[in-house]
Amino acid sequence: MRQPLTPPADDAGAAPAYADRRTSPLSCLYSLEEALPGLLAMFFIAIVSNNLMGVPNPFTLENLFTYLDNVIGPVNGQPFFQIMNSNFVWNALLLGLIVGNVFGVPDCWKRGLSYIHTLMPLGIIMLGPHFVLSHAAKTGFWPIALAAALIPATAGLTLRLSRFLKVDDRQASLIAGGLATGDPHACVILMPMIKAKGGQVVNASACVILFGAVASLVAPWLVRHLDLSTQGAGLALALGIGNGAQAVSAGFAVGSEAGRYAGYYEIVGHVLMPAGFLYVFAAMFWRKLRRGGDASVQATRGVENVPLYLYVFAAVWALANIHLFKEPAHHAIFELVKWDFSLAAAALGLSLPLREIWAWGTRGLVLTCLAGTIRLLAVVAVVWACVKHGWLVL
Amino acid sequence: MVAHPHTTDKTGFDYMANGGREERDRDAVGIALALGLMGFLTLCQYLGLY
Repeated sequence: MRQPLTPPADDAGAAPAYADRRTSPLSCLYSLEEALPGLLAMFFIAIVSNNLMGVPNPFTLENLFTYLDNVIGPVNGQPFFQIMNSNFVWNALLLGLIVGNVFGVPDCWKRGLSYIHTLMPLGIIMLGPHFVLSHAAKTGFWPIALAAALIPATAGLTLRLSRFLKVDDRQASLIAGGLATGDPHACVILMPMIKAKGGQVVNASACVILFGAVASLVAPWLVRHLDLSTQGAGLALALGIGNGAQAVSAGFAVGSEAGRYAGYYEIVGHVLMPAGFLYVFAAMFWRKLRRGGDASVQATRGVENVPLYLYVFAAVWALANIHLFKEPAHHAIFELVKWDFSLAAAALGLSLPLREIWAWGTRGLVLTCLAGTIRLLAVVAVVWACVKHGWLVL
Repeated sequence: MVAHPHTTDKTGFDYMANGGREERDRDAVGIALALGLMGFLTLCQYLGLY
């Protein structure tokens, strides 16, 4: 029987160390009495944030944003809140932030909220079946090769620039992951691997989303002046902006056909997303191994070995690519991923006073804009050169 | 019930701290749950249950 963690009667003593109370790996889950209040807090924030499988609750933040999208109308063919990357992670995070900052977080919730550390590896592994490389095969070899080359190039450029801008290496890693994959989810997924602070995660994600939103307004102007074909414009925008809804919005700003091509090529970045966060983790972990004694190296500090769940994720990703997870099972697994990340994001939102997000300042935004702009210009230039010289028939 | 704005309670427990043996246990539980859930759902499909 597990020893409860109830504090002494005078409320003044410290809780026993984990090693002292551990009887099995399940000791990390605490007793139900200790964990239940926090779990219920996460549960209610999750079901009020998102439309989750098995919960027929119409009064969700997700539905509110959908309603507002219909009131506002589409921006270049895409819903505004989609362009701002509203989804099952950010909705729950936002609501958790509001609850935590307005009402505070009672002590009795905190054991349950620690389940975030179990939910993260659980969710990361279950994401594996979502990325099937053959889904991008229709686009052809060269777009896939270009997208694959962009991952180390973008991450490397971002990490290099971060040294000049003196951005904390943990935050720079998150931005590198977000830009390299075009998916701000990568910032959250990298959190446990990089050992980043919660404030850095939200700050970095906001930087990536904000840059993408601005780029989706500016990039169409650039593409229109280059006399690219609609297919070439779609490819350049999908790979240059990276983020799906933002790239498609930019495509539709160029024209209906370019928007459809941007959506067609967007899948390439999506299926390669795991390669992006795995690359950033590997680069930062290798750097820590080489320069572990350097006090400025914070990213992956405390990570002794490659986490076991990354090996499991890689194995699941490989199995997904030989089509082990057929379509209905894949959908059911992804519904559980939504549950998982909604709960985890609620706990993350509750953990963050707003000042911990602002504390990481605007250097991250400068880094994102600089690296993102260089990447966008480079991609547009490469696609333009390929089309002009006939290396790519677009 | 005392509300604390941060992640640490009055006993010193910090719910965002994650390291050492406790982290490995949390990872192990997460991995076991993930494999169990995915295995169950995939098996259901292969057995024709949906």
